[in-house]
Amino acid sequence: MNDAERESVREFVSRHVNGRKIGDAEDLFASGYVNSLFAVQLVMWIERTFDMPMEGTDLDFANIRSVEAIGAFVDRKRAALAGGGGWTST
Amino acid sequence: MSETTAARTHVIGLDPPVPRTHADELATRVFFVSESIEDFALVPSEAGIGAVRVTVRDGADPGDLARKLRYVVANDVLGQRRAEPKVVWRGTASGPPARDVFGDLLRRGAAWEAGEGQIGVGEPVLSLMDRLDARIRSLAVAEFGAVEHRYPTLIPTAAMRRCGYFQSFPQLMMFVSRLHGDVDAYRGFLGEIADGGDPAEALRSRAGGADHCLPPTMCFHTYHRFADAPLPGGALTVTSRGKSFRYEARYRRSLERLWDFTIREVVLLGPRARVLADRRRLMERAWDLMDELGLGGRCEVANDPFFADAGTAERVWSQHLLELKYELRLPLDAERDVAVCSFNFHDRFFGESFGIGAEEGGEEGAVHTSCAGFGLERLAYAFLCRHGAEPSAWPAGVRKAIEW
Repeated sequence: MNDAERESVREFVSRHVNGRKIGDAEDLFASGYVNSLFAVQLVMWIERTFDMPMEGTDLDFANIRSVEAIGAFVDRKRAALAGGGGWTST
Repeated sequence: MSETTAARTHVIGLDPPVPRTHADELATRVFFVSESIEDFALVPSEAGIGAVRVTVRDGADPGDLARKLRYVVANDVLGQRRAEPKVVWRGTASGPPARDVFGDLLRRGAAWEAGEGQIGVGEPVLSLMDRLDARIRSLAVAEFGAVEHRYPTLIPTAAMRRCGYFQSFPQLMMFVSRLHGDVDAYRGFLGEIADGGDPAEALRSRAGGADHCLPPTMCFHTYHRFADAPLPGGALTVTSRGKSFRYEARYRRSLERLWDFTIREVVLLGPRARVLADRRRLMERAWDLMDELGLGGRCEVANDPFFADAGTAERVWSQHLLELKYELRLPLDAERDVAVCSFNFHDRFFGESFGIGAEEGGEEGAVHTSCAGFGLERLAYAFLCRHGAEPSAWPAGVRKAIEW
C-alpha cells in the first residue's frame, strides 16, 4: 500500500471518528468513537476503494482492526489476487 | 381461530437464490415469517437455495406469504456476509457418543410436556440443573467476585424498549396481558366466555396496558437495576438466575429450545479492557468446567437472530466480524448440537441505553458491558444426552464434579 492509499484509509477513518486523530496502530474499535456497524462500512469501503472482494477468512477482525492492519491486509490480498505463490488472506 | 384444518403446500421461488452458506440464516427465520406456516423445506437449486416449500393452513394467501418471505430473505439474509466458522475451543468428551434421550426422559417421567415450548421436569433433571447451576454460580462468585441479585419475573416494557430489544427481536418478545381495569370489561369478558367464547378473543377488545413483559434473559434486569446512575466503584460483576421467555414459535423442541426456560447469567460492567479480559477468563473457566464434565463440544464465534428491522443483515455480520458473541455448543447426538451458553460483549451499548455511568474520575461516559448466559435446561439436557438418563451409570468423576 503506497503512502497516498494509506492516507486515504486515515481520511476514511477520520471521517467516522469526528476528525479525531487516530494512530496507525491504534485499535479503531476500542476508541469508543465508532459503533459496530462501522465494521460493515469499513469492509465495503475497502472492497470499493481497493477493488478487492472480502470474503471467507478475509472477514476477520484482525484485518480491519487498525490503519496498519488494513494496509497489511490489502498488501497480502493484492499479492494473493496477483497469484503470489503461497500467500493467503489470513 | 382458524376454522379450517386442511393443509396446503406452496413452493415460493427465490430469485436470486440464497447461497448455501446462508441456508441456516434462512432456516432460522421461516417460521417467524407467518404463523400460518406449519412446516417448510429449503429446496436446493444449482446456485443455492432456489425456493422454500411451505405447508400452510388452508386459507393462507400464497401470494401474500411469498411477499413476506421474500422481504425477510432480502432484508435479513442476502445482505449478510458469512465469514468462515471460527472455533476458539474444542472440548474433551468422556463416555459414549451423545444420543438424544428426550424420549427416555418422557418415559421415566423425568420430563413432561406441559404445553408448547414448556417442559416440566422431575428427577434427575431437576437436581442436575441445580447442581450445574451451583458450579457456575460459585465460579462467578469465587473467581469474579460476583454479587448475586434476584429479580422479579416481570420486567417493565419501558426497560425493554429502552435497550432496543423490540427492534432487534420482535419475534421473540412475550408481553404480559391483563383485562382493562374496568367493571364493564370484566363483565363483558365473563359474558363472552360463558357463551363458549375463546378467552383470547374475549380479551382482545378488553385488554389493559401491556406495561410488563416476560424477560428474554436476566441481563436486562441487571441493566435496569443500575440504570441512571454512576456505577459504584466503576466496575461490578453481577450474577442472577431466573425464568426467561422467548416465543420460539415452531422452532420449539424438547428441552433444547423452549419458550419458558431458566438462565444463570453473569453480567460484567466496567472499563473496556477489564470487561473484555474478564469475558475471556470466564469463557476459559466455563471450558474447564465442560471438560471436567466430559461433555465435548466447541466454542465458536456466533451471531444473534436479529429479525426484520432496517439494517438487520449488517448487524448480524458486523457482530460476527467483531467477535462480539461466542457460543459454547454441546452435542446432543451424532448430527445435532445446542448452544448452552453465549458470551457477549456490547461495548457501551447497554451502558449508554440505560444511562449506567462510569465512576467519576475514571473512564468518561457510560460503562462497557458483557454478559454470559447459561441455559440450564439445555446444559442439563446436553449432560444427559452424553451420560444418560440414569445417574448410577454416570462416570464417577463426573458425579463427583457435581457432588452427586
